[in-house]
Amino acid sequence: MYNAEYFLMQGANGLVIGFLYALMALGLTLIFSVLKVINFAHGEFYMIGGYISYFLITVVGGVNPFLGIIFAMVVLLVIGSLFEVSFLRPMHLGSVERPAEYAILVTFGLSFFLQNLVLGLAGPFPHRTPSFMSGGIKIGYMTLSADRLIAAGLAIFLMVGLLLFMSKTWIGKAMRAVSQDKDAASVTGINPLWMNNIAFAIGASLAGAAGALIAPIFSFYPDVGVLPSLRAFIIVVLGGMGSVKGAIIGGIVIGLVESMGIALIPDMSRALAYRELYGLMIFALVLLFRPRGLFGEAQ
Amino acid sequence: MKKASLKKATLFVGLLLVGLLVPLIIKSPYWLHVFVMAYFYGLLAATWSFLDGYAGQFSFGNIALVVIAGYTSGLLGTYTGLPLPLGMIAGVLAAGAVGLIIGYLCLRFRGAYLSLFTIAFAEAIRIILNTEHKFTRGPCGLRVEGLFGTSSQVPYYYLMFFILAVSLFMMYRVLKSRWGLFFKAIREDDEAASSMGVNIVRYKIIAFVVTSIFCGIGGVFYAHFSQMLTPNFGQIATMGLVIGMAIIGGVENLIAAMLGGIILEFGLEGLREFGAWRMVLFGGLLMLVVRFARNGLLAPVYKKVIGEEV
Repeated sequence: MYNAEYFLMQGANGLVIGFLYALMALGLTLIFSVLKVINFAHGEFYMIGGYISYFLITVVGGVNPFLGIIFAMVVLLVIGSLFEVSFLRPMHLGSVERPAEYAILVTFGLSFFLQNLVLGLAGPFPHRTPSFMSGGIKIGYMTLSADRLIAAGLAIFLMVGLLLFMSKTWIGKAMRAVSQDKDAASVTGINPLWMNNIAFAIGASLAGAAGALIAPIFSFYPDVGVLPSLRAFIIVVLGGMGSVKGAIIGGIVIGLVESMGIALIPDMSRALAYRELYGLMIFALVLLFRPRGLFGEAQ
Repeated sequence: MKKASLKKATLFVGLLLVGLLVPLIIKSPYWLHVFVMAYFYGLLAATWSFLDGYAGQFSFGNIALVVIAGYTSGLLGTYTGLPLPLGMIAGVLAAGAVGLIIGYLCLRFRGAYLSLFTIAFAEAIRIILNTEHKFTRGPCGLRVEGLFGTSSQVPYYYLMFFILAVSLFMMYRVLKSRWGLFFKAIREDDEAASSMGVNIVRYKIIAFVVTSIFCGIGGVFYAHFSQMLTPNFGQIATMGLVIGMAIIGGVENLIAAMLGGIILEFGLEGLREFGAWRMVLFGGLLMLVVRFARNGLLAPVYKKVIGEEV
């Protein structure tokens, strides 16, 4: 049943999906490195990205799917920025006790709120946006769909774009300065509060892009963001909290492990369900043997 | 000081009396059922307050531990001839053992590892229970034996009330002991606590295991009360309710967190016709309370009336 072709196909599939995982994790790690906040609403930003592109393409109609992605990113940029100003900024002004707990609570509260808001507005039924393009690439007797390739290609494009933005522009450099040492950065005239805001908005927007990119591949519903956000947590822990390199490599590793792992369990429905569990095992192994992750700094 | 403890005693005796009298006044089985569930959520909110509000450890695992204890007892009842009380004890012990393993894995480090691991762990448990449906009956639900040979809600009411009162009393005693002081020291400043010779990892794990055991007690009761377990009870949304109840009540006050659980469960039940929108309201309230009333809504009232913290 399993031959070289099958593993090649699973490998290609895992790589493709791994780039999308990496995009999701990159947003999370950017937020963590600059704000020192773990965004528990990341999965809901992803979910909303999918809904926005669906709404534009299917309900409004006549919109190019690629415009749907851009629009989803812009809306999440705004949502992220507004949320950061109203709920996270007080933390960085020092007016909040036990900031670590506060950050989890307020982002988790947002996640609970958004999930139910979308449930109330759009109902529990699954949706899927139309394909970007039909067809695909044949590998032996199996096909890698064009949608997956386009999604992975755009994910790579966005990640390269972010890396260039972080290394070439003033804002990108300023954000990195804040992530390394907030106080030193503010001495040089950088306002850390604005860098926090920009980082959170970009992070949210990347999650929204991941959601909009996946929307033609997997159907989505109000709590569709739960598993992708857990996966992003695991990727970030595996790669090292706050490490950009770690998020990208970790995403690809998890994508490959999951799709190769399917081949280990003969029963197909079990294999698909247990794909989600490999991440948790990796999490446990990281905690046991390398708590700072692959590329994290020692605490 | 003396006045405060008198007021406190009055409050506790009053709550006990009201609790004992409820089934004499309320005859509707539906509302008695709601009372039992409200006490169940009150217990869970108190366990969350115990861990986060006193020991400073943020977990998403309470409901997963409830589910583990419930399924352990339910599955033992279905597949082995083990007497029911032994199955229930096994359920509680299973929750404690899992708590010990998770605690050992995550609590040796600082940072958000516990929250990240427990949220992923809870989903994993849900996925396993759904997938192994031949064994667990999956989404169709596992039938669990009832505790009393009657369909009346009254014996369940008194049992849950007893569990709630005893659990709260025991948690309260633990928090008033030396352990409680260590927990508080860890929460306020773990580095200082460590330099004063508190073995912080050990006490963080102790706090987590104690919480797990009380979650297990709640879980075993829930299994044999509802007589039907489904994996999706363990979803993160349920955990969101528990956290929200503890926070809105007041997480730094065991009693306020418990009352938050009871009152909000009644509120959610009363608004049932609004479907998802009541949860939108709940989520919005949670965010606003966290942002503007960090001590919750009931804890400040408690402090004002009684004159001291719990």
